[in-house]
Amino acid sequence: MPAVVQDADDATLARAIAAAGAQPDRAAEAELCRRFAPRVRLYGLRHLRDPHAAADLVQQVLMTTLERLRAGAVREPERIASFVLGMCRVVVLDWRRGALRREGLLAAYGDVEESVEPEESRALERPRLVRCLQALVERERSVLVLSFFAERPADETGRELGLSAANVRVIRHRAIAKLRECMEGGAA
Amino acid sequence: MSAPACTAPVAFAALVEYWLGELAGEAQDRLEEHVFGCVSCTARLGELAALGAGIRAAFRDGALHAVISPGALEMMRRAGLRLHEYPVAPGGSVQCTIAASDDFVVSRLAAPLGGIERLDLVSQAGEGPELRLEDIPFDPAAGEVLFCPPAALLKTLPAHTTRMRLVAHAQGEQRLLGEYAFNHTPG
Repeated sequence: MPAVVQDADDATLARAIAAAGAQPDRAAEAELCRRFAPRVRLYGLRHLRDPHAAADLVQQVLMTTLERLRAGAVREPERIASFVLGMCRVVVLDWRRGALRREGLLAAYGDVEESVEPEESRALERPRLVRCLQALVERERSVLVLSFFAERPADETGRELGLSAANVRVIRHRAIAKLRECMEGGAA
Repeated sequence: MSAPACTAPVAFAALVEYWLGELAGEAQDRLEEHVFGCVSCTARLGELAALGAGIRAAFRDGALHAVISPGALEMMRRAGLRLHEYPVAPGGSVQCTIAASDDFVVSRLAAPLGGIERLDLVSQAGEGPELRLEDIPFDPAAGEVLFCPPAALLKTLPAHTTRMRLVAHAQGEQRLLGEYAFNHTPG
């Protein structure tokens, strides 16, 4: 990867891709995908709650973004982050409506796939995480399990455990802070 | 390119609320706009996502015990998880098991919970040491406590009896609410 590409800001990369014409600027495209893949993936995980669907979203959004940039169809390359976010919203909405046009894009932009491997392979150290979770007090562990495993919102969790929603948020916040500290090398 | 420092970092609590779907409308839109333009906040959200995935996997794999809620139990049923539910009345006992292919055992401990300020769950597997879970969460109106023991450990245990006690704290005094016996047979 040329240093000039790595040092460029997002807008410069977007402009370089748009200006490349018939000979795609592969280095700029790869760098743009490398930067935006984690953001799109997180958006997908948040809204689709499925790692495979999130991975598909990364593919679709980045392919479409490159397609638009190459075609000069992004009016404000300096606002590329907003463009990509807007694309995420549109694609997720489309998917929810059942409209999918992924196959054609894959044929034209299939090489994007190599540059957007999920970075969440940086898995947490499992035994340490379990020790840290076991070290929490009971209410904290319950609230974290209900929040992240059962995906129960604070108001429902509170109603079902005899707590207020505000109390659930306080317990959750304290538990996450303890976990982060523990995972960074504190008591476990 | 090194990540530029964020000039207006989103509070971690707000990232948590966003991640758990507790933000909506303009608040959600504003947060997403910021995160998409901010490498630093993207990294913090990624850290939260990894933590959440780790918690989910640890519980899903039976590495943790936890008191759960009726809504969580219903979600587990709907998700098609392989559950054994064992409702037990105070003073009662039940034959129970867990197979290698099962996901969870849920002990449903019936008890009158009204007027209680604090509740402890004391558990003893066979002749092993007592484990006291202090100040467990409970709904006074529910009439039962839902407890998931760590399934991974349970699957390794031979035939034995686990005894549980619910101990209530109110007005400075402790009171036994109920004793429950789980006669475990390996699956």
